[in-house]
Amino acid sequence: MAENILVVGGGPAGLNAAVMLSELGVNVTLVERDSFIGGNPKKFKYKFLFPDMQPADNVIGELIKKTESGGNIKVYYSSEVSDFKENGKKFDATIKSAGGSETKTFDSVIVATGFEHFDPARDAKYSYQLFDDVIDIKDLERMMGENNFVRPSNGQPPKNVAFILCVGSRDRHIGNQYCSRVCCTISVKQAIELKEHFPDCEVYIFYMDIRTYGFFEDLYWQAMEEHDVQIVKGRIAEITSGPNNTVVCKGEDTLLRGPFEIPFDMVVLASGMEGGPQSPEISSKLGIELDEHGFLKPENITLSPFKSNKAGIFLAGACTGPKAISDSITEGAAAAMNAYTYAVKNR
Amino acid sequence: MALKKQEQRPVAEKGEHIIARHLIEDDSIKEEKNLVIDGVDVSGRWNTFILSRVDSEFDRSFFREIKDTVVGSRINRCWQCGMCTASCTVTPLYRRFNPRAFIYMMQLGNLKELKKYIDVAWRCVGCYKCSQRCPKQVNPAEMMEALGLLIKKYFPEEVQSKLKVDEDVKKIYDDMILGHGRLDLAKLHTSAMQKTGRTKELLGKIERDAIFKMAKDGRAFSILRLGKPHNWNSSKEAMGNYLKNLNTIESSEA
Repeated sequence: MAENILVVGGGPAGLNAAVMLSELGVNVTLVERDSFIGGNPKKFKYKFLFPDMQPADNVIGELIKKTESGGNIKVYYSSEVSDFKENGKKFDATIKSAGGSETKTFDSVIVATGFEHFDPARDAKYSYQLFDDVIDIKDLERMMGENNFVRPSNGQPPKNVAFILCVGSRDRHIGNQYCSRVCCTISVKQAIELKEHFPDCEVYIFYMDIRTYGFFEDLYWQAMEEHDVQIVKGRIAEITSGPNNTVVCKGEDTLLRGPFEIPFDMVVLASGMEGGPQSPEISSKLGIELDEHGFLKPENITLSPFKSNKAGIFLAGACTGPKAISDSITEGAAAAMNAYTYAVKNR
Repeated sequence: MALKKQEQRPVAEKGEHIIARHLIEDDSIKEEKNLVIDGVDVSGRWNTFILSRVDSEFDRSFFREIKDTVVGSRINRCWQCGMCTASCTVTPLYRRFNPRAFIYMMQLGNLKELKKYIDVAWRCVGCYKCSQRCPKQVNPAEMMEALGLLIKKYFPEEVQSKLKVDEDVKKIYDDMILGHGRLDLAKLHTSAMQKTGRTKELLGKIERDAIFKMAKDGRAFSILRLGKPHNWNSSKEAMGNYLKNLNTIESSEA
């Protein structure tokens, strides 16, 4: 008899786990809260992925296709795990969807509930939602996905654009002390895309540290050396309205000790990642641990980053912390392998 | 009596009446000593303006200008790590000479800030340690040349008043280049001693010992073997013409 494994969340990590398990002949049940699968990349219409600028559809589309064509994956859309109980070494889960509730027994569980984009409106100094021309990286990504590169306020191409890094990250005042890892790379990627689209547009990046780790550094070098993207050291303390329908960034140039108030046509906030409301929810429902940052806590962050503190429940993707899509996909495969081993052992 | 006393009152310094005067730079205060508008005398403190002390734009035209020069073409690469300033031979002597900061000012077109450094911005001795160590191959040593050109172009008056070219020294350099095709350190040394009135010391014990030592280890004679640079005659002619043209241009500008 084939194993039954429950995957919660249909983003890159969950989809890859489901696809791998289905290839092993496992009966996979995929629970997705949205009416579609593909997670945040699909929801916010990511267009090109760093570091090689390949279309997001190559990755997400491929995973969705494999999920839908893989015969033994049962996807529940707009659904949730409403009840969860341990049953010996197995688990009884009730899945609530539009079609009613269904209770099944699973050999193991993979949690891949992902992350939420930080909502910059929570940090009032950035005046997000107050000015049309203050957007964040997910908005810009969606605009690019829709081939709509213009200023939201008047539909004109921007003449100068500022990126502000570490919005909602590395900020005790907002409650997130961690680095969200990918916003720097996304920002330089988007800066390059903007410069390619509008060669005359001046693009500035306000930074405290630029953390384009590993080979993502290439993208940062490319942004500076091939596209003349200018980096300015200092965080922005205030965004106000300026003359001629501009928004003014007030900050300090920490390298010259000079205060500045510079008007920009468009400001892009590199908002970070958060565990979202789903992390504490799934944590209390499944009885797994939550960490101090609001993400799910792995059993051992180095040895087994894909295991929860409860045997038989595995973690994958950005639910355990900010992560690039490639890392999520890797963890999806790792969690699938572990969930399968656990299921086979306790057959 | 009181009126007379007022007449004798000395003319006020610019911005003298501003309470926290020490917080404001001279350049930021605009005040006309004598100004009459529509028949109303608004001289002195009645027309004082304080310019914004906050930078209100990044002017990238300077960045473009520098980037188009041969020596400054890599300005876009600089990420402000400070390796150049850390390596610099001059910075320990003149703390205000900071290649990293100068490159940053050029990137952002911050001429207001750059203006404060006209007197030291020329101090680069061309040791090229910064260019050798720069992790992004910006070539800061040559960037300092671009900086010199920029300053000369945008602040001609300040350059004229703050930097006096010593004609004697200039002649020593010109003669040396045209005569030998390279810098002659021995001649530079003797000229400097002569110019500072230390001719006597040239015959002193320290100098004699140095000459003896250099003769002994062969350094003094290696100069003779060096000869002139390859194909020197044609180079010399071109260089001579260049210097001649430069002199005429400078004298016609003046």
